[in-house]
Order: sequence, then C-alpha cells, then structure tokens
Amino acid sequence: MEYTLEVFLDDYRLNKIKGSSVEANIEAVFGGELKVLRVKVGEEVKNDVLKAFETARIDSRACITDTPVAFKRALFEEIAKQKSLGEEVVKAVLGRINEIKELAAKESDYLPAPDIETD
Amino acid sequence: MPELYFQRPMPHGGKLVEQVITDRRVAKKYLDACKKYCAFYDIKPTLHYKRGVPVRNVYREIMSVCYGFFSPVEGSMTSAELESVLTKRRLLSGWVFPYPILFDISKEDYNKLGVSEGDRVVLRLKGKPFAILDIEEIYEIDPEELANRTFGSPETNPEVVQEKFDDKHPGWVIYRSHHPIILAGKYTIINEPIFKPPFDRFWLPPRKCRELMDQKGWRTAIAHQTRNVPHVGHEFLMKNAAYTGDVEPCHGILVNAIIGVKRRGDYPDEAILEAHEAVNKYGYIKPERHMVSFTLWDMRYGNPLESLLHGIIRQNMGCTHHMFGRDHAAVGEYYDTFATQILWLKGIPSYGFDKPVNEVEGGLIIRPQNMREFWYCPVCKEMAYSENCNHSKQKEKLSGSLIRGLVAEGVQPPVVIMRPEVFKVVVKWWKKFNYPFVNERYVQWKEEELEVDLPELE
Repeated sequence: MEYTLEVFLDDYRLNKIKGSSVEANIEAVFGGELKVLRVKVGEEVKNDVLKAFETARIDSRACITDTPVAFKRALFEEIAKQKSLGEEVVKAVLGRINEIKELAAKESDYLPAPDIETD
Repeated sequence: MPELYFQRPMPHGGKLVEQVITDRRVAKKYLDACKKYCAFYDIKPTLHYKRGVPVRNVYREIMSVCYGFFSPVEGSMTSAELESVLTKRRLLSGWVFPYPILFDISKEDYNKLGVSEGDRVVLRLKGKPFAILDIEEIYEIDPEELANRTFGSPETNPEVVQEKFDDKHPGWVIYRSHHPIILAGKYTIINEPIFKPPFDRFWLPPRKCRELMDQKGWRTAIAHQTRNVPHVGHEFLMKNAAYTGDVEPCHGILVNAIIGVKRRGDYPDEAILEAHEAVNKYGYIKPERHMVSFTLWDMRYGNPLESLLHGIIRQNMGCTHHMFGRDHAAVGEYYDTFATQILWLKGIPSYGFDKPVNEVEGGLIIRPQNMREFWYCPVCKEMAYSENCNHSKQKEKLSGSLIRGLVAEGVQPPVVIMRPEVFKVVVKWWKKFNYPFVNERYVQWKEEELEVDLPELE
C-alpha cells in the first residue's frame, strides 16, 4: 500500500522550488488557495516514520499526519535540495533522525512565530 | 405578528443568581467581622492526581456561580444535592443541572482550618480576600467514584457512551483530582476581581448581557460555544445557524468562549477571544449582529452533559437559541459523535432524560439548532453544508489537525480556511507565548497569573 506525506507551501516555499522539476507536481486544494506537494512512500518507510515519532498516525486518506514540525520542515528542505518527491527524500530526512528528534523535543516548548506584522 | 415572536427566556430556575457585594464599604464590614470569627483559606489550583500539573481552579466556578452564569446554583453542593445531580442530573429544586459543583479541600487543610457546619470561611485568591463560603455541610467523597459517576460508562449509559472514561479524559481527571473533603454552602463574592486585558473587554455577566441585548434590539440571539479560534467553517456555522429565529433570522450571534485550563494543543484563551472579535471587527459578520463573551470554567469535555451546561449558561445570558454541531465539547471517542444532538432531540434516559431537554420538567427553554458539517466544495466553489452539497467525494474538510499543522509550520492558512486577520491574532499571541498552542508552560503561567487581579480591600 502507498502512503502520503503532505507538504504545504506558502510563498516562501513556492519561491524555493520555483523553476525546479517538482514545481509541476504542485497540487492546488481549497479552490486553488492552498498548494501542496505529496510525497508517496511504501510500507517500510511509513513504518520507519511511525516508529520515529510517537505522535505520527495514518488518517482515513492514508496520509501520514501529526509528525513534528521539525520533520516537515526538514522534508521540505530535502525536497528543495534533491528536487524530487521520491521516497529517497524521506529516507534522507530519516537519516538525520537524531537531530530532528532533538528539535522535535524542543517543539513542545518553543516554535518560532512567522515574521508577519501583528497589531 | 407579535404572537409569532420569541421572548427572551427567563433565567434557568426563574431568577438570576447574583451574589456579589459591590458596595466596598459593606464588603469591608463583612471582612472586618470575619477577621474576628472566621477562618481564612487560600484558594489553590486543583492539581492532576498523578502528574501534579494544574487542571482546574475553583475560583472560576465561584465566579460563574456568583455572577449567575450557573443559575440557579448558589454554591458548593450538599451531599443530597450531589447525589441528585449524579443520579438524575437535577438539583434538589428539580431544575436540570449536569455537573457536581464542589468546594473541595484536602484532609490536611481541613484539619488546619478547624471549621464546622455553620461557620463562615473567607476565601482568598492571590493572597487577597475574594469570597465567603457559608458552610452548610461538610462531607467526604471518593474522587474516583465521583469522576466515574459524573460521566457514566458504556454499561450505565449505553445510548451514547462508547468507551470507559479514564485519565486521558480531561474532565474525568478534574473530578478524579478533587480533594476528598467537601465544604458545601453558598458563595458570596466580597471583593470583585478586576479582569486583565484582553479578558476585560469580553466580560459580560448574564445581567449585563441581557441589558446589552435589549440595547441592541436583539429579540432573538443564538449562542455559539467555542474553545477554539474560528476557522471559516466555524464562521459559516455561525452565519447559517443564525438563519433560524422566529419570523426573521436571529438578531444576534453571541459567541461565548469557555475560559479556563485547556488541553495541550488548544489555542491560548487570549487568542481565542481576540480571534473571534476579529470576525466582527473586520466585517465577516457585522459587529451589530455578533458579540464575543466568555464564561470561566475548566472544561469537562462531557459532550451531552457539557451541552446542558452550555444551554444553562446561554439561557441565563438571554439567548433564545443554541447551535450544536457534531462532537460538541468532546475529546477522544468516549461519546457518540452526535450524543449532544441525541440528548436535545430525543433525550438520553440513562442520564435522566426520557424526553428532549426542552420537554422535561425543570428543563431548558433555550432552543437547540442542531447542525451537521461544513466543508469546502471545489465543485460548488464555496463553503458547503453537508446536507446540501452532494459532492461528498470531492469535499475538502477543514479539520482542526490540518489547520494546526499549517499554523505550527508557520504556513499562513488560505483565506478560505482562516481569515488573515484571525491568523494575525494567532501570531500576535504566539509571539507573546513563544508557542501557538497551549503547552505545559502556558498552563503553569496561566494558573499563577489567572485572568484577574484583586484590588486591595483592607
């Protein structure tokens, strides 16, 4: 069975992959308002992700959700670096698992706020 | 025509409870007399019975009782009243009430206090006199039994309870964490707390709320329960549910947020209130028609039971209608998804309701407006109501986890999911707390700071 990891894209992320081969794989949801890249993985990688993060789960759409933000950020960085949506990007991220777990542990205490103006 | 109009409902129990001494000279007299004859007790947060983190502060219940949100409840329940609530969900007076309201202390504190029935205790909050409790009865409870009986079980409440309640359920934990000694009796606030910003802007006790509805010319008003920042699905729920009314849609939408200890992953209280305010401030619903308020209560997440309390609070505030969606005030899979709607449409006999809540003796007047779901439909190209839109294969659901995932990654949700001004509010408080959601640090900070300060009374 195939499982999906969704990576949502804002303007910053869209710029990072502009002109690359993955740009053609961007899907639009919510009336085109939200852009998403979908990485498909097999049983083995899915199990590795679930094993790595106790919060991770599979939802009704066979999407792997509730992974730490550090994992999702690293996944996007890897996609932008490798210009690929293949399973190898997830494997590369899992190769940095200790570093990501360390960041994930800090996530329950601190997450950097986006740099937008507020009142 | 007027015969078709709905009237503002009377408060639950017939009369608003108001037990707040506002004349400071009178309050000082009370306090002076107490100095000679009364015991003093410093209110402490209720701590999780295993983990030791705050799960409740009884001051919130005292505020909600004394300002009339929980009318006709007047104080901490006696053993007979507690039994009546647990077995029938009725006060001794016969009026419907879902939950035990108790002033609990440890055996050690009880021995130190040295009080007995007939005594008065001055309750201090943040080191200052806050309220008095006139002790009518002192008795002991078994907190685990209290927690189990409050929520029921799949065996005793098979119509709607699907799983045994345990320490993953925040409401069960609150009752399980109660101390064993109960001081029962009437509360009176003698020193009105002062709300801190942003809470001060949204504090609307029932009498004031009813007056404001009169001033605004709201004959009909529909209540919206929230413990969340609003996404566009919530906004559409509010707008569409408000089409009910009498001869015209409801004149007003009263957002009433529940403010108190929350689950990890919920949004901070400050963000919830200001985010709802942004909905009217930036014109998504006219401010003439939309008002934000709150009730102090550490949520019990009791789905149908919580909906009863919500109905009571909002009837007391003057609402004619209350909207209920799926999984109302729910967590996990403990209840049937539509348990609340079952209670209001058919009744739940095992909880004491062989008929709908509006049809039983001592029941509620406020009308339920039971709603299904809203989703984004890419075919209709709009936010669609599940009972209208037949494109269920193409539907795009606005789930809380989807939005939390976007927020946590710092990806601004698109306008069809969350209004930009609402997201700005989330980020504003994110910057303040260094985190977008409730976490352990926020809970600790909040329970030290609370929503209020107390003025000097002495």
